[in-house]
Amino acid sequence: MKLHVHLSPNWVLDEEMREYPTAEPVDAVIVGTGAAGGVMAQRLARYGFSVVALEAGDWADSEEGMVSDERASRELYWMDARVTGGSWPLELGDNNSGKTVGGTTVPYSAFCPRFHPSDLMVRTLDGVAVDWPIRYEELEPYYEQMEREYPVAGPSYFPWGKAHSYPYKPLASSTHGHKLIEGCLKLGIPVVAGGPVGIASGAFGKRPHCIFRGQCHLGCKVGAKHSTLVSHIPDAIRHGAEVRTRCMAFEIAVDDSGRATGVRYYRADSDGAHREEFQPARMVIVAGYAVETPRLLLNSRSSRFPNGLANSSGLVGKFLMTQAAHIAIGRYDDMIRQYKGPPAQVETEEFYETDPARGFARGFAIQSVGPLPIAMANMLISSQGLFGMDLRRAMADYNHYACWGILGELLPDERNYVALADDRDQFGLPVAYVHYNLFENDRKLIEYAVRKAVEIHQAAGAREVMVVEDSAHLIGTCRMGFTPQDSVVDKWCRSWDVPNLFIPDGSCLPTQGAANPALTISAIAARTADYIRSAAARREV
Amino acid sequence: MTPNETPLWDRYPGYDALSQQDHWEPATRRVVLDRVYRVPPIRFFSPGEVETLQAVVDTVLPQDDRPSEQRVPIVAYIDEAQHKGEIPGYRYEDMPDERTAWHWGLEGIEQTSLALYRRRFTDLGTDERHAVMARIQKGDPPGQVWQRMPARRFFQSILMAAVARAYYAHPFAWNEIGFGGPAYPRGYYALNHGAREHWEVDEQR
Repeated sequence: MKLHVHLSPNWVLDEEMREYPTAEPVDAVIVGTGAAGGVMAQRLARYGFSVVALEAGDWADSEEGMVSDERASRELYWMDARVTGGSWPLELGDNNSGKTVGGTTVPYSAFCPRFHPSDLMVRTLDGVAVDWPIRYEELEPYYEQMEREYPVAGPSYFPWGKAHSYPYKPLASSTHGHKLIEGCLKLGIPVVAGGPVGIASGAFGKRPHCIFRGQCHLGCKVGAKHSTLVSHIPDAIRHGAEVRTRCMAFEIAVDDSGRATGVRYYRADSDGAHREEFQPARMVIVAGYAVETPRLLLNSRSSRFPNGLANSSGLVGKFLMTQAAHIAIGRYDDMIRQYKGPPAQVETEEFYETDPARGFARGFAIQSVGPLPIAMANMLISSQGLFGMDLRRAMADYNHYACWGILGELLPDERNYVALADDRDQFGLPVAYVHYNLFENDRKLIEYAVRKAVEIHQAAGAREVMVVEDSAHLIGTCRMGFTPQDSVVDKWCRSWDVPNLFIPDGSCLPTQGAANPALTISAIAARTADYIRSAAARREV
Repeated sequence: MTPNETPLWDRYPGYDALSQQDHWEPATRRVVLDRVYRVPPIRFFSPGEVETLQAVVDTVLPQDDRPSEQRVPIVAYIDEAQHKGEIPGYRYEDMPDERTAWHWGLEGIEQTSLALYRRRFTDLGTDERHAVMARIQKGDPPGQVWQRMPARRFFQSILMAAVARAYYAHPFAWNEIGFGGPAYPRGYYALNHGAREHWEVDEQR
């Protein structure tokens, strides 16, 4: 079919997209087109595989489908029913879940730091959680690839983790970022500006550079900010992949030998009516992010797999993680105008590694954020309990606030999980139940990190500081590990139970560090694609 | 407010985000102008619920200081969202579905009002209304509804979230807080020292 999708003002994806018949098996069907699925589709298509990527959402045309408006951007997010609970219930929807071609990368803020080498061996180093079955060195070449392909702007010398350089120079920062720099300088805390962020500091291919509109969370109408919609999916289509939109996968089918045979899904017309289809495939790749991926596996029950697919370990859905993303709001006498410039522009990872003197394992980053008015009002409502004229007065100071968030590592715990709820969605499918709690190490880490964020405001001259509880990102639920008993997938993201099923998305991360996960998820997807290519050559998939 | 204090809605004197509409691209312009000039009709709430909701909104986000033609029709936008069945992408496990929460919540506010003052919420004075909403916000209001739905959760995640989504999406509110509004394709050039663009206005307080 002929596509016509604006990816930037002067770049229309005007390709004839290949369409595969559902009667014939393709080499690979991918569920999801986000940080993992988008990269996987591009890599496998380039490697000569026939690929169909199923996307529950639709194309978001940057001129017509995205708007510069906080209230009217619902179409980009996963707004379907889910249930959230536990003693620290997570906000889902526009907080962390995209539903569009490009997935959550379309409305993400695009902070793109790498994980530190220590993140992959926290059991060895700190005696908590688990080690990964891979080492940083195995991911490093894929980090380098992704930083060029997204691309990522940042300092030429990035001092934390394994020190490295970014391929594109730092982006300009704006006043709210400058406040974070100022506070850090006063306290002697090293800080970096202008990245690492997935926004090129110059035109990149047909993508113009940033206009500093500050609305990264609403999808980038400029095409400057990375999403797999602009970075990998056009290339995937050019190399013969099909992105099949408005297709809600609901079951992975298996044959008597326990191999996946394809994916059943509901395909919606533009008028909302839907019909069931089946795409047969020689290999199935699930990349639906840490809530929808386990939901799909748990909904794929059969006599052979009564507890859901790929779940002989009982660990599908377990060890859900989010990051503590409490925001410290500083009110300053001088003007800030925090809506200008990308939210993601300044950060410090000085507190990232374990420091025994602090009394908890692992650490946190502190990163700039730039809430738009509705988000800002909700922060004041939830943190200060404001309403009435008090709320309007506090919001009248909108241009006097600078905000930064902690990004704190919360440890994986089996008591945090995704399961199936009794509620049904518009297709009659059981929706995800997301259950979250904070535990002792988490609370200590948050308390310390928040105190540090507040101190930085005070050092920068804030008149008043307020703190909002928040969370960011979704990780875990199909962890990779060493044995079929301790994990859902192996070090290549291959299911221990179903040899032609791969889960290379955020679900597979055993721990999450204190880094925003998109870049790592894409790096893992690219690595898995390379494995699939070599395994296929050896006839091992 | 003392006589010399700048009115809240006029801290950026003469600033009018809408005046920049020629610099917005068509899709965004359509969305924002529809919001201002095509106020949706009431289709979800019953007439009685609308009365209660209007009184509640007047309490949790009063606008009586504003010139009457500069007030944001918050209730209409809350109704529209529920009519369309918009949910935030999840419900809390201790909450009913979004639409039920609204019906229960408005009923609960009337129950609290009756329990505290023996009158309907709409018949209360400003201070009494404020006291009712403060009890609900605190989470311990009298009223049978609040036995089956946590009042704090209703207040924050349903009521105030919807009020904020309606009010702070409106250009009149942007003028009040000095927000630049839609900024594509023009973007911003004044990034340092909280500076304004040539078309923005300095704050007066």
